[in-house]
Amino acid sequence: MSSQEITLAPTQSETMDTETRQLLEKAQPMWKMVLSQFLEHKLAVAGSVIITILVLVSIFAGVIESVTGLDPNAQNVAHRYVPPFTTIETGTDVKETQVETFIHNYPADAEAIQQALIQKNVVQVEASEALYELALMDNKQAVGTLKSLNIPQAQPLIKEFQSFKTFHLLGTDELGRDVFIRLVYGTRVSMGVGILVALASALIGLLIGSIAGFYGGFIDAALMRVTDALLSLPTIPVLIVMAAIDLSKIPVLDFIVTSSNQSIYKMVLILCLFSWMVVARLVRGSILSIREREFVLAAKTLGAKDHTIIISHMFPNVIAPMLVSITLGVGESILFEAALSFLGLGIMPPTPSWGNMLNNAQELIYQAPFLAILPGVMILLTTISFNYIGDGLQDAIDPKSIQR
Amino acid sequence: MTTFITRRLLQTLAVILVLSYVCYFLMTLMPGDPVDMMVASNPRMTTEDVARLKSLYGLDQPVYKRYGHWISAIVQGDLGYSRTYRVPVQVLMGPRLWNTFILSMTSLFVSILIAVPLGVLSALRPGTKTDYAINFFSFAGISIPSFWLAIVLIIIFAVKFPILPAGGTQTIGTESTGFFAMLGDRAIYLILPVASLAIQQIGRFARFTRAAMLESMRNDFIRTARAKGLSRRQVIWQHGFRNALIPLITILALSFSGLFSGALLTETVFAYQGVGKLVYDSIIGNDYNVAMISFVISVSMVLLMNLLADILYGFADPRISYQ
Repeated sequence: MSSQEITLAPTQSETMDTETRQLLEKAQPMWKMVLSQFLEHKLAVAGSVIITILVLVSIFAGVIESVTGLDPNAQNVAHRYVPPFTTIETGTDVKETQVETFIHNYPADAEAIQQALIQKNVVQVEASEALYELALMDNKQAVGTLKSLNIPQAQPLIKEFQSFKTFHLLGTDELGRDVFIRLVYGTRVSMGVGILVALASALIGLLIGSIAGFYGGFIDAALMRVTDALLSLPTIPVLIVMAAIDLSKIPVLDFIVTSSNQSIYKMVLILCLFSWMVVARLVRGSILSIREREFVLAAKTLGAKDHTIIISHMFPNVIAPMLVSITLGVGESILFEAALSFLGLGIMPPTPSWGNMLNNAQELIYQAPFLAILPGVMILLTTISFNYIGDGLQDAIDPKSIQR
Repeated sequence: MTTFITRRLLQTLAVILVLSYVCYFLMTLMPGDPVDMMVASNPRMTTEDVARLKSLYGLDQPVYKRYGHWISAIVQGDLGYSRTYRVPVQVLMGPRLWNTFILSMTSLFVSILIAVPLGVLSALRPGTKTDYAINFFSFAGISIPSFWLAIVLIIIFAVKFPILPAGGTQTIGTESTGFFAMLGDRAIYLILPVASLAIQQIGRFARFTRAAMLESMRNDFIRTARAKGLSRRQVIWQHGFRNALIPLITILALSFSGLFSGALLTETVFAYQGVGKLVYDSIIGNDYNVAMISFVISVSMVLLMNLLADILYGFADPRISYQ
């Protein structure tokens, strides 16, 4: 494709008017050229839109939770495997028990509400029975009544009543938890792990690659042997062995074990260990060629220290190809996280991730096939978007394909 | 060439040794050793019993000593005993290795058969609708989680339209029905696992084929071949494709590592009795001897395939010489 464009370029410029020619000959900053080239790749643009939406979803997962009033961990054994687009309402007996606990827990508030109900003449029973009467009503009516009382004490009860009637856009899972809100929180976990791993492993790769490339000799040989050895390992079996180990047996890693999101940190750590190699080789290759360039010699002559040369003269030259490999790395990390969580070795429930939502999906393919479809579609959508973005970036930063 | 192979073989051996030690060490970091599990299943055991058992199994010794014992037993041909299956490990490994070999080779073969023509086709028509469609399917193939694809295939072909078995290796009792009936039975059980493994590989191979083919069709000798009046087919296959083959061979051999990784997930989902499932089951079930051997075997196979890739590369491209 690119070769055709290049051969076309001179014939085009002959017929071009002066205005476009001036525009083309004006020096543009690198990022502008890359951006305009990237925008030509339609699927890559579509991919970045999808990723942006998913990132927004994972950032605002808490907001989505409070707006929809759904709780990712609320179990409801009475309503398991509810199909998508269903509204479920709790039975009257459960409502009455909830009201009883409310009265038991907040006697003062309950008293106030009961008084208000009697005063407004909404219910025609004794004060102690007033709240139970609400439970017998239609849920919407009950919430309306409570709201019309307009007293602050009623707020927690309103919330309670609102949770009696829930709408499940994507149905519920084997414990009666809402699939939609779990997918939303799963987005946060899976995307978080993917992006974190890609960035961290890029940093490790940058460090190791630049040390190996800059110093050469024995350091280079040793580091590259390790890189090659790790690169040639079958990833999934190795990751399974790593994921199965008990971190509390390694004293250095105590801080991970004691934290509440232990399985997430463990996942990030393990995936980082096995995904820095591609970046390291890439960086080493670029640094090897940059090392011989004149501007490095000039910097050396001026007395620049090694780390100054590496950080401020060499890094800017390797950022572009690294960006591609980071984007591709995110998709890959998400896939590995999902695979390990699927095997029950990754993110531990109840924390939802796309992978562990598929964990027992296989046993449920008869009762609830949609449970097995949805998280996979999310994974596919995300990884394909990241791969397309990577592809678009690769085309965009490739100097051969830039149209000038 | 011989010195190169010898050196690489020695290097590979060293890597396998180091890795087996690392893996042995990691296994000791897994929760619960055999004696702990015996204690859990038998509360009447006293602390003296535990201490005696631990010294009997050598669990009270440091890791490197235990590793030394283990590796010297391996060298003498004693692979140990599986605690879950109650058979020597070599009895367990043989058929499993064969099953995994059949699965990976079939899917490799199928994916090459489909991916190479697709890649060549899209390279010959760059920028057309065909190219975009093939590109899209390749990307989808690379991005799809293989275990999920396996589940979806089961839902479609075993639940909605029950025409294929949902999992397993073969129907019980077919050994007595004759060789060809057994072969057919095995083949039916292979369809879904091979499909789910191959779809991923097809995506990868098609993209590589396309890139390699595009690169080789850009060469000057293609123009020369065209100019001297060779038929289109001859130009494409004899001049273009043969040069694209060189990078492809490496990619194919290197993809063995990915194939093996993917096979673990596929085997687990389809309950296919291969090495991958054995690795997973033994690690989950704390069956250390089996876990170690199957892990070392899978790593060695991948490393040897990488070595093979390097050697093949030299044969395919005479410009590369090994000193």
